[in-house]
Amino acid sequence: MTLALASLLLPLGTALLMLLLRLRSGIWVIAASLGSLLCAGLALHEVIEQGVQTLAIGGWRTPLGIRFELSSLTAVLLVFTAMTHLLVAIYAQHSRHSHARNTDYWPLSGLLHASLAALWLSRDLFNWYVTLELLGLVAVAMIILSGPRAHAPALRYLLLSLAASLCYLLGVALLYGRYGVLDLDLLAQASEADHSTRMALLLMTVGLMLKAALWPLHLWLPAAHSSAPTAVSALLSALVVKGPLFILWLLWSRVAPVDMTESAGLLFALAGIVALLAGGWAALRTPLLKTLVAYSTVAQLGYALLALGLLLRWQQSELSVALWLFVLAHGLAKVSMFLAAGEMQATLGSKRVASLKGATQTMPVAMFAFAVAGGSLIGLPPSGGFVAKWVLLQPLLLEPIHWPWALGVLLGTLASAAYVFRVVALSFDRADATPPDYDPDPFAQWLALLPAIAVWGLALFSQPLILWLSEASG
Amino acid sequence: MNATWTNLLPLGIVLSSLLPGLLIFTLREEQTRLRVALNLTGVLLKLGLVGLMLWGVARGLEFRFSIPFLPGGELVLQGDALSLQFVSLSTVLWLATTIYAIGYLEDAPLRSRFFGYFSLCVSATVGLALAGNLVTFLLFYELLTLATFPLVVHRGTPQALQAGRVYLTYTLGGGALLLMGVALLHSLTGSPQFSAGGYLLPLLETRTPSLILAFALLVGGLGVKAALLPLHGWLPQAMVAPAPVSALLHAVAVVKAGAFGIVRVVYDVYGVEPVQALGLHLPLLALAAATIIYGSLKALQQRELKKLLAYSTVSQVSYITLGVALMGPIAAVGALAHLVHQGLMKVTLFYCAGNFAETLGVHRIREMDGIGQRMPLTMTAFTLAALGMIGVPPTAGFISKWYLGLGALETGQSGILLVLVLSGLLNAAYFLPLIYRGWFATPKAPWPAAATARAGRPGWRETHWMLLAPTLFTAALALLAGILAGTGFSPLGWSQLIINREFDL
Repeated sequence: MTLALASLLLPLGTALLMLLLRLRSGIWVIAASLGSLLCAGLALHEVIEQGVQTLAIGGWRTPLGIRFELSSLTAVLLVFTAMTHLLVAIYAQHSRHSHARNTDYWPLSGLLHASLAALWLSRDLFNWYVTLELLGLVAVAMIILSGPRAHAPALRYLLLSLAASLCYLLGVALLYGRYGVLDLDLLAQASEADHSTRMALLLMTVGLMLKAALWPLHLWLPAAHSSAPTAVSALLSALVVKGPLFILWLLWSRVAPVDMTESAGLLFALAGIVALLAGGWAALRTPLLKTLVAYSTVAQLGYALLALGLLLRWQQSELSVALWLFVLAHGLAKVSMFLAAGEMQATLGSKRVASLKGATQTMPVAMFAFAVAGGSLIGLPPSGGFVAKWVLLQPLLLEPIHWPWALGVLLGTLASAAYVFRVVALSFDRADATPPDYDPDPFAQWLALLPAIAVWGLALFSQPLILWLSEASG
Repeated sequence: MNATWTNLLPLGIVLSSLLPGLLIFTLREEQTRLRVALNLTGVLLKLGLVGLMLWGVARGLEFRFSIPFLPGGELVLQGDALSLQFVSLSTVLWLATTIYAIGYLEDAPLRSRFFGYFSLCVSATVGLALAGNLVTFLLFYELLTLATFPLVVHRGTPQALQAGRVYLTYTLGGGALLLMGVALLHSLTGSPQFSAGGYLLPLLETRTPSLILAFALLVGGLGVKAALLPLHGWLPQAMVAPAPVSALLHAVAVVKAGAFGIVRVVYDVYGVEPVQALGLHLPLLALAAATIIYGSLKALQQRELKKLLAYSTVSQVSYITLGVALMGPIAAVGALAHLVHQGLMKVTLFYCAGNFAETLGVHRIREMDGIGQRMPLTMTAFTLAALGMIGVPPTAGFISKWYLGLGALETGQSGILLVLVLSGLLNAAYFLPLIYRGWFATPKAPWPAAATARAGRPGWRETHWMLLAPTLFTAALALLAGILAGTGFSPLGWSQLIINREFDL
């Protein structure tokens, strides 16, 4: 547990020190992320050896105090968060297109890292509210870093995020009034199927879905994620939207009464299918590259939503393995895609998809990263996205009565293939290639490729991963 | 798992082209010698390893490599008689095509990228052939799609891109169907190793709808690459690719992957009895017969040589499916032999078409008048292969058609005999005019001077030697496969060995 706390406190301390001492150098954040990654890795090892660990902060026991819990899922998410931050920090420090050198990006990214780590560790409704609020504010501040043109989407994000937090807080207050506890486990034991519980769950769900940009509450995401600086887009898509999803999952699979989960599960699953198709369609139609990647986030969150819905509907906890595999695979692939897209967009001097003509020649590594990451989003074997889809499909295909859901997954796969290969096919156009404005930067391109290779490597690592994730869901 | 040489050999066969391919990507354009050296090292190494495996399998050794992958589905590479048939075909034709491609692309741009993907493509094909269960097969099937796409769009023209988009639409769609089918079967029993007679018999009673749907999904997914009737649309369009790519796509890599997959699914996953019990072979048979006739009819209408060859592929590859769907041992021998025979003949035809186009700029059929006087050796190879396609004895094509016909009689499907005869007549109707034009018609215009062509005189110097040698080599193999069909080492003999195991004879 100490190690997990260190993984949280290292970026937090660094960020606060940088704010106090007015330091704006990336080296500190890179060092802190590296340290945090090491601690998280050791924490994961500890969990595997010794099982789930809890910590009562300040020695206060629940229901009075706040409880941190380190499960294997939390440990995996801590590693994932630190790894993503490290990679993005190196990119932001190195690339001349990152708009991050000597800016507030550095302390903010430290705060973002810390609030996410705190979210993964918390098992307390109010503590989650604090982390959510922090996450939202930091994210807005980071979007604004890209200048005046980002103000409008950032402002919209801020307002919606605040509204969502209020919804969530109202739900928390209702539950607290009804049961007098905020700890997840205590609440799970106490919860009953009455009106105030339903109302509270509904409010919290709306708030969380808005924050996680789950369909149909996703409309703020494409503009916000695509107008942010490249490094920030990567963090937002890979990590930030997954935080509220984590809370939503715990809330519904632990606290919600059984008769509610069935109908809510159906709604979640349907929303997931619609998200897959609508997000895919929008990604297929948009003329802008980063908007395409952002819409693909909306679509991919549909898989997670579908897994969540079906897991609630059928009470099959092994589906949460699929949910978290989707989150990990999507996160890695999306970092790669945003870094590659941002690098290509800046080098080729246009935000439009059409400017990628001939990119296989002008920026081969970045384009390759985009395609490889896209392969995981489509779910081509042997990528992480494939393993996730496979785990999701198994229970769907077993009984003929569930086959319509599998059809939804098939359509989602085809939609993602369509928007990924829309870009890839264009990049092979040699007749009319877009000349780069700058010399392409090989190091930044290789950095973009790294997570894409990692997500394909995830497949070879899938058996222990599935084991850890299923321990956490059991 | 102990790391003995029998375990590592299948992996070695895949890596022997994968690693050189990855290295080639890193080379600069002008490092020609190193690239050729890497290519040839890979080819020869693979040839050696495959030879070793053939020797081992003949002595009864078992080759199996596996690593954990999905729950209930390992990543398995194994060498059995059926996979070796396909592996040997791909390896030999890869050797020929590599030499051909080096000659064909001399001084062309982007050769590192081309040969990189070329090697990946062969690695995927070999991996698919060696795949020991459905999950592994699926993996290499998708990788094959990804590796071939850059080859199809290699020229980078709008026309090539359009063909590439169509190709991707079909193959990724097919891949998604295959994924669903494999996942469906996996949810029922996991993915055990392929075994003669299949492993689904115990589920026949309880899971009938699942088995039928899975079969439809699998055949739908494989049928795209095998160019079965409603799913064949990508194949004629993919003709815009450079000639060595077309040769490889049509003879070995893509269409054969589909046909080989159908063989695997019918014999080693479902098994003959369950397929017959579910009545699944009849629609497959009808589809294959329709494709054979349709492809031939379309080929008859073409004016471009490569398009004609493409539609002829649509027709000829379905012989394999037909033989499998007949569900009898003799037809199955014909089908498996045709897998090799069609590969040898079709690759020769595509080399010839490439030679004509590269040397004399001949693309259309009516430009072929009198080409036999200018390029007699290429035209000889073309004639041999075309006669084989028609099924004239003693060529390889005759052997496979003979066995297919006997098989149709044996299983009582005498209507199929009619299909075979009709298709033979149609084959003759579109190939014989080409042979006539090539040898006996008079050229409409004088041939271009030697300066614009690759080389000058009729005979050994009629075109670049790297284009001529592979053509003659594969033509000779196609002829030998027919003449020596009775010996144990011919494709026919090996097919009989496989089928004896599958049908437990």
